[in-house]
Amino acid sequence: MTSLPTPAAEAGAATPPDRAGPPPTLEVRSVSHWYGNLVAVNDVSFELQPGITGLLGPNGAGKSTLLHMMAGFLKPSAGEVRIVGESTWRNPDLYRHVGIVIEREAVYAGLTGYEFVLFNARLQGLPDPHEATRRAIALVDLADAQDRKTSGYSKGMKQRIKIASAIVHDPQVLLLDEPFNGADPSIRLFLMDMLRTMAAEGRTILFSSHILEEVEHLGENVLVVVAGRLAASGDFRAIRRLMTQRPHTFSIRSSDNTEFARALLSAGIVDGLDLTDGALIIRTSDFGRFTVEMPRAAQRAGIELTEVDPLDESLESVFSYLVQA
Amino acid sequence: MSPYILTLTLRQIASQRRTFVMLLFAAVPLLLAVVFRIAAEDGEDPLTFLGEGMEGVIVALILPLTALVFGTAALGQELEDGTAVYLLSKPIPRLRIVVEKAIAAWIATSLVLIVSVVGTGLILLIDDSEFRAIAAFAVAVTLGSLAYTTLFVCLSIMYNRALIIGLVYVFVWEAIVTNLIDNARYVSVREFTLGIAESLADVPAAVLDASLGAAASFLLLAAVAAVTTLYASYRLGSFQVGDQT
Repeated sequence: MTSLPTPAAEAGAATPPDRAGPPPTLEVRSVSHWYGNLVAVNDVSFELQPGITGLLGPNGAGKSTLLHMMAGFLKPSAGEVRIVGESTWRNPDLYRHVGIVIEREAVYAGLTGYEFVLFNARLQGLPDPHEATRRAIALVDLADAQDRKTSGYSKGMKQRIKIASAIVHDPQVLLLDEPFNGADPSIRLFLMDMLRTMAAEGRTILFSSHILEEVEHLGENVLVVVAGRLAASGDFRAIRRLMTQRPHTFSIRSSDNTEFARALLSAGIVDGLDLTDGALIIRTSDFGRFTVEMPRAAQRAGIELTEVDPLDESLESVFSYLVQA
Repeated sequence: MSPYILTLTLRQIASQRRTFVMLLFAAVPLLLAVVFRIAAEDGEDPLTFLGEGMEGVIVALILPLTALVFGTAALGQELEDGTAVYLLSKPIPRLRIVVEKAIAAWIATSLVLIVSVVGTGLILLIDDSEFRAIAAFAVAVTLGSLAYTTLFVCLSIMYNRALIIGLVYVFVWEAIVTNLIDNARYVSVREFTLGIAESLADVPAAVLDASLGAAASFLLLAAVAAVTTLYASYRLGSFQVGDQT
């Protein structure tokens, strides 16, 4: 596991357990979950303090399973999750302190946005559910659409009304599973600002995402999950640095592959190359310099490029690299 | 404590197409009663016809199927489409969720059945003023609805395929096994319902002949409702989202 240095808890921190400091709001202790023979989450441990943390990983990595266990919706096969010191499994009273946004789009179809949030406020037993509903809907900027049926909402509006229902009781801990799915860029930025403000007010916010840029914009601290394991945790910038400095592989087709191979080697921008059936496979560890210098080298050698394909740009390959790093 | 879950569930039931379909289904005995009034020959007893209809159509078919539809959907549909997390993520006892859901399904089922029983009874017996039998049958199906709906709400928490399991219970266990194995009637909501109907209506055996007595029927029906509600609450407390069998 790549355990990266993390800034102090002041702006939110995901830390390995047993580290000195204030008591964690959320503790995940040696948690595993398996479905039959399939291990979805494998011996994951971390602690969260107030602030925002991104749970990053490719689809199928186990993020939702992990979040469901934190939310008390799944029993860990091994280990334990505690929020404000209490176990999350079979503990409904804990939901006074926890807000949850699930990935599924489902909301009660027959209700207006206002009625939906009000229903959640009432079940929380709030003293003034109407006031809490108005406040939560204003926070997600849906007051104009609050009297429309949720069945007519766009995907982004459904996400926002779900978030409103999860924050209506002003929870100390907010868990969000892919909260920006379906939201257009302006709404995405709006929601990110809102979560940032909530974190600055002392709440612990954990959101999952499979999109690097979302985590980059929002989470200073990040937990990277790959194949059910915690692959990295800590400051996002350090992880990002690892990601950009990883070796990249390209497949290139040109008017003269042999001559172009020679030109690239003499330009010193590749770490290695192979001439295969009609293509030139190159490896470079300096992605930025390669993308600038490679076309220039072709121009200087008078070679026409017909195809340049990155071979390892999938998120899975990025995450696999992180696991090996 | 206001019954917000009950109110929302009733609202959902009222807006669903399946409710309209069940009302149409419940109208079948009314049509049969009209046909009887038009076509019955002299000497045919309308009370006996009502008793046969009660046993053969209303309690054997309409009651369990209506309870199955409303009982499995009341909470099961939310568990399936994911909206149940809005209930499960609240600081409320799981027993409250089960009770409000079961009562909503019970009210819906009872209303459909009461329309069916009272409508059919009035068409057949309005001239004979046999209102006691009609009232007794209405009470019996209302109590039968309670046991069936709590049973089916419980099944919907335990199994994804609660509808199929419920159909097997109704059409294999209650319809066939109960006839083959005498003691099976002690675990048949249908037999409890008929036992209550017979004891309250005080009609001759030719009209309705139940296999269980009044006390056993009342006790067993209450036991089914209580045990399935408590067990449903226990199962909902351990419900794992996305992990239903």
